[in-house]
Amino acid sequence: MNGRAKSWFDSLQAAWLLLVLALLYIPMISVALASLSNTRYMLFPHRTWTADAYADALASYTTGTLHLTSFRIAVLVVIVSVVLASFGALAFARFDWRGRRAFQRFLVLPLFFPQPVLGLALLVYFTALGITPSWQTAAFAHLVWIVPVVTLVISIRLYNYDVMQEDAAFDLGATRLQVLREVTLPALAPGIVSGALFAFLLSWSNLPLSVFTSGADTTLPEWLYSRTATNYSPMVPAIAVIATAVSAFVVVAAALGLSLARGRGSAGTNA
Amino acid sequence: MRRLNPGILTMLPVLAFLLAGFVIPILVVALYSLMPPRTFDLVGNPTFTNYATAFAEGYWRPLMWSALGAAATTLICLVLAWPTARVLVHLAGRWATLVTLLIALPIFISESVRLFGLALFMMPGGGILAGSIDALFGVSIGTILYTRLAALLGLVYIHFPFVLFPLLLGVSLVPKDQVAAARDLGASGWQVFREIEAPLAAPGAAVGALLCFVLSLGANAEMNILGGQAVTVITNAIEQRFNYAQDWPLGAALTVLTILLTAAVVFPVLKRIDVDNLAGR
Repeated sequence: MNGRAKSWFDSLQAAWLLLVLALLYIPMISVALASLSNTRYMLFPHRTWTADAYADALASYTTGTLHLTSFRIAVLVVIVSVVLASFGALAFARFDWRGRRAFQRFLVLPLFFPQPVLGLALLVYFTALGITPSWQTAAFAHLVWIVPVVTLVISIRLYNYDVMQEDAAFDLGATRLQVLREVTLPALAPGIVSGALFAFLLSWSNLPLSVFTSGADTTLPEWLYSRTATNYSPMVPAIAVIATAVSAFVVVAAALGLSLARGRGSAGTNA
Repeated sequence: MRRLNPGILTMLPVLAFLLAGFVIPILVVALYSLMPPRTFDLVGNPTFTNYATAFAEGYWRPLMWSALGAAATTLICLVLAWPTARVLVHLAGRWATLVTLLIALPIFISESVRLFGLALFMMPGGGILAGSIDALFGVSIGTILYTRLAALLGLVYIHFPFVLFPLLLGVSLVPKDQVAAARDLGASGWQVFREIEAPLAAPGAAVGALLCFVLSLGANAEMNILGGQAVTVITNAIEQRFNYAQDWPLGAALTVLTILLTAAVVFPVLKRIDVDNLAGR
């Protein structure tokens, strides 16, 4: 290919990527634009641009309740999924055992399963067991597909893990518990942190499982979903923006915390 | 005493949880599907009446719509993701990483927010698109909102990243010098695609397509928010049976049929894929 054709081809590639990104972000931009109005119906471009809807949303009791419900579920999901998945990842990637392949295949099955159908099946299951659906059952439903995701995320870290380190520690007289605490867990830590982030974000944003399994409790995505059809007001997009900002804040805070901890950790080994 | 293998020991918590949260619920639903119509307990005499009813009352229709929608979504996503993956692999480097990150980001933003945004964008009259065009050019345009096409657009929009990322892994496995060698030997673009790129990227493409098909098979939010219920999808049909008609056994039978369709697609593909490879070992 000559120079001119090549540069023409490169700009075409860049244009394609820009187009894909623009299409992907149009909905989010639309939500943000819609939130900056004070009319109860959509009439874009707004006659007056205002952030009133955000003031209303922040003052509203509903906003707090919705965030609290979603937050409770996400925290419960993070804790349980990280514990289960850490063990699961060891079985998935660290140890060699008969049946490992079968376990790997079984573990990914919930990911290849339509979520709303899973939600409906779990609703029937809870009711058959006499359990009234609430935010706890929604957390359980989230776990069914988040535990496999987190297990995979931690496993990917474990594939690069050198088993010889453990053997070396044993040879130097370390006990099983010491090896776990001082060799295995530190190696797993970055995977566990990314797993926890995945768990939080996927639970925070989940609609199809919550909608069928949360009973009388309402999560943020559920509330937004119900308000898209009826009772529109600029407060709806405003709350959508706030909820998304909260999850972005959690990611940034976790990333900052992690780099701080890493800095301190390396300082510790230097000392 | 023989020590239990640590692999078996460490998999037990996850196994127990997935049995309680995935396998047993499916079995319970399967059992419900065999109960006499409109019963709420599991003690009746097993019968296939509900399956017969499901077909007689035309419930194959929502299942067909869902399967068609899922197939169309998968196809469109593959066609869009293929050039995107190739460009990303070709560019490689800091910009490609940034773009990849930006494409991944929306996965973590709620479906309800994104579909709501699409609806706001497409709304007629005062919607973001129609309103802007009207204000700028004084032209009023129509809308595809509340049609099947809008729902399909939503499906493609939501599931595109699920196809792109596994495909990206696959395409990155294609060695550049092999493509260059084939070109030097006079292979056409189509030949390079068919003989080198497609076979190497196939496992990634298969996983992406499978994820996309299965996730869109159950999708109902797209139809409810964007499609204006132009057609009934299977999830909505099941929900109606469970909640409004209070006919659990029929709802359960429809659920089982959907699960069987899912299994028929998932198992043959998954059987041929090495999970270790998939996870990046």
